[in-house]
Amino acid sequence: MEVLQYAIRKLLGGIPLVLGVTFISFLLMVYFGPDKTYELLGKNPTQEQIDEIRHELGYDKPFMVRYGEYLKQMATLDFGASDSTGEPVSKVLARTVPISLALITPGFILGNVLGILLALIAAYHRSGPIDKYIMGFSVVGMSISFLIVVIAFQIIFSSSYGLNAFPVRGWNVHSFSDYLRYITVPTLATIFVALGYNTRFYRAVLVEEMTRDHVRTAKAFGTRPGKLLYKNILKNSMIPIITRIMFSIPLVVVSGSLIIESYFGIPGIGKVTYDAITTGDQPILKAVVGLTAVLFVITLLITDILYRVVDPRVSLK
Amino acid sequence: MRNLVWSLIAVIAVGTTGCGQEQRNNGFDPNLKVYRHAMDQSPSSLDPVQASNVYANHVVLNAYDTLFAFKYLARPYEVKPNLAVDFPEISDDLLEYRIRIKEGVHYIDDPAFADGVGREVIAEDFIYSIKRHFDPKMRGQGAWLWQGRIVGLDEWKESGADYDQEIEGLRAIDRHTILIKLIRPYPQLIFTLTMGYSALVPREAVETYGLELASRPVGSGPFRVTSYDTSKIVFEKNVKFRQEPVDIWYEGYNPETQGFTGVEAIQGRSPPFLDILEIDFIAESAARWNSFTKGDEVQYTGVPNEQVDNILSSKDPITPTQEIADRYHMYAGVEAGFVFQAFNMDFPEFGYNDDPDRSRRNKLLRCAVIKGFDWSKRNESFYSGLGIVFPGIIPPVVPEFDPELSRWSVERDVEEAKRLLAEGGWTADNLPELVYGTTSSVTSRQFFEQFRGWLKKIGYPSDRIKIKQFATFGDISRAWKNSTLPFVAKGWGLDFPDAENTLQLFYGPNGSPGSNDANYRNREFDELYRKTSVMLPSPERSKLYQRMNKLVIDDCVAVSGISRTRIMLWHKNVIAFPDREIVGGFFLKYVDVEKQQPVEGEGT
Repeated sequence: MEVLQYAIRKLLGGIPLVLGVTFISFLLMVYFGPDKTYELLGKNPTQEQIDEIRHELGYDKPFMVRYGEYLKQMATLDFGASDSTGEPVSKVLARTVPISLALITPGFILGNVLGILLALIAAYHRSGPIDKYIMGFSVVGMSISFLIVVIAFQIIFSSSYGLNAFPVRGWNVHSFSDYLRYITVPTLATIFVALGYNTRFYRAVLVEEMTRDHVRTAKAFGTRPGKLLYKNILKNSMIPIITRIMFSIPLVVVSGSLIIESYFGIPGIGKVTYDAITTGDQPILKAVVGLTAVLFVITLLITDILYRVVDPRVSLK
Repeated sequence: MRNLVWSLIAVIAVGTTGCGQEQRNNGFDPNLKVYRHAMDQSPSSLDPVQASNVYANHVVLNAYDTLFAFKYLARPYEVKPNLAVDFPEISDDLLEYRIRIKEGVHYIDDPAFADGVGREVIAEDFIYSIKRHFDPKMRGQGAWLWQGRIVGLDEWKESGADYDQEIEGLRAIDRHTILIKLIRPYPQLIFTLTMGYSALVPREAVETYGLELASRPVGSGPFRVTSYDTSKIVFEKNVKFRQEPVDIWYEGYNPETQGFTGVEAIQGRSPPFLDILEIDFIAESAARWNSFTKGDEVQYTGVPNEQVDNILSSKDPITPTQEIADRYHMYAGVEAGFVFQAFNMDFPEFGYNDDPDRSRRNKLLRCAVIKGFDWSKRNESFYSGLGIVFPGIIPPVVPEFDPELSRWSVERDVEEAKRLLAEGGWTADNLPELVYGTTSSVTSRQFFEQFRGWLKKIGYPSDRIKIKQFATFGDISRAWKNSTLPFVAKGWGLDFPDAENTLQLFYGPNGSPGSNDANYRNREFDELYRKTSVMLPSPERSKLYQRMNKLVIDDCVAVSGISRTRIMLWHKNVIAFPDREIVGGFFLKYVDVEKQQPVEGEGT
């Protein structure tokens, strides 16, 4: 009951956040974003045709009227049709978000799990050679541009100049083995880069926990390293770890990964969002921005509940 | 190292065992003929009314039918009847066109039709399809082709665009005959009927799908679209497509220049020859190249600039290395278009000025900039030295091109540029600020820096030449249409092989927001444009075109230009003569592939 009450309070409290995010982003879209009118013009337009397109797109309405329509769309989850392809936005999202999720999830999970494992090992061997090796690897992962990693991995694993073992691009997934073929290289690239950031972050969190009195006491009692790392250190470090993981989820779900999708020819939401930004396809943008804001509110709520789960001292009041 | 990497992926390899056979044919049934084409951009819409570029036309011309088309192999380009039975019957005054369309042609089966069965294509479909461009709700982009040309069409729009209302100049005389009445002769009309804009769309589909037609074509072309997303479009053969055996000699086959393609194999057979046509949209040149060279993915690519030196053993003549020649077919052709810059004459600092003396000085300033521009260096730096630099605005690909024209305007001469500045009384202190508008790409920035460097050499202070970058094409297009940039840098792809298509870029009444971004207004030019716009191709018309070209050059309006050479590679098992110029994509229905003969280096 306490959780339910908290959830309702939190969701209601999230409404101003969603309103704020949507208002600012819509303001930016309308006054500073690309003007779709000029994408839709023929080669030799007249002023009359420009005005007609603006009218068709609804650009001639007052800003607040348009924002009101946006809120109505948010409430009904009906964002209309893409200004480019005419396809209903809901259909576009239903088609692309699952692909992005399928693409990003393995790398996201493995990047975090392996990051925590490596961070535990590094933290336990703090200042020793193992720690230095792991941190050195992390710095390499962080230092190389994701774009370079993608290109290099594509050449190494997929191209005829390398192993030629995986597809360069495409997403013809009809079976689990197809799925493995198409996600292996993108996942490896994602893990390579994510590991650097994750390991360093988690190591810092775990090292700080290791300096606490209760850890010292546990060590003095002769607790085995495995138990010490899991029960005394990792469990007590879960709050910042959960925060980092949870706050990445909305971006993973809605934004996808533009670079991965572009280079590997995977039709996910990242590419759709990027195209919408560059062409000023407002129906798509409104949906992506609005849903990201809502997801953040939900994520905040779940994060708070998870805090309570891992640390009963946390109050939801 | 190789063993180590293999070890790391061993588990995954086990998981993927068993799918190799299917992947050998690009994920399709190995018994099907599949061709995977690659383009560097995706079309934003598949609706004929929005087929504004070659990317959209690659799809539209294969999903829909047009009355006329370009011959597959003829270069220079030649028009032939497509859905039309024959060329139009044209009245003596060149104002009436009667076009008979083929009987028994059907649309693909689609739920938009009664019982889901595609009905026959009729003349009324053409009338409806052209009307759509004049209906504001359709967001059409092709109205400029027929605006002010067809009797009653503009009035139809003004009176509310009621599709059931007849138009005097655009009628179906009977089920298979179209009548077009022109306000004045329009020699380019037949070209416009080859374009995706004029493709025949069934009214039922528009009424059923509305704007969504832009992503789910319903046509009578050689292929039907089965899937479309941001990464690719997949077509399958339209089994209902009419049987019309190819005569490669009629199509303009030249054994000397095209014999290597193997197109003789399609002689006497009816297209389309492919079961599956897939077009991959790959903006990243590295990914496109990797996919192409992999062997079992895309089978065609335009060669990215960074690969040109790797694949050529000679640039003049353009010759591939032995390795490339052994593995791929190659063709290099000059683009049907050009890259140029122009001054916006509406800016009194550079163009027309109420003060006649300042106007005179402005012209000298523009001429000095032109003489300071190094086209040869531009060609070397950005186009691998393969482009064709030419003076004026009539590019080499059109028949009216004059190879004898003076090259004064494309040859850099720093001393002459300085002399012109001095003659105009221009010094480092009084030269106006030049704002160079461009998109926000690295290449655009490099163009600008090179340009600024050249002008510095002629005495134009660097701090007076500013760049204004725009995040998207829509943004810079807005600046052009609103005439807010004094200097316009752009490329132009020809809609049809007639110099009229480039000359209209400098026709006064086409000023902003029209296509004349330079806002050039020259009475003689405009009169000649009007005069030639009703003339059929002839030596006399070519002469007048060339006179107009000379006027633009003499007025120092444009820094122009270069036509890029495009190099194309395709796998040896593909029987095709690819071409992405003019409307683009019209060759795809003739593509055939030999059964699975992958090139060396193929994976899985």
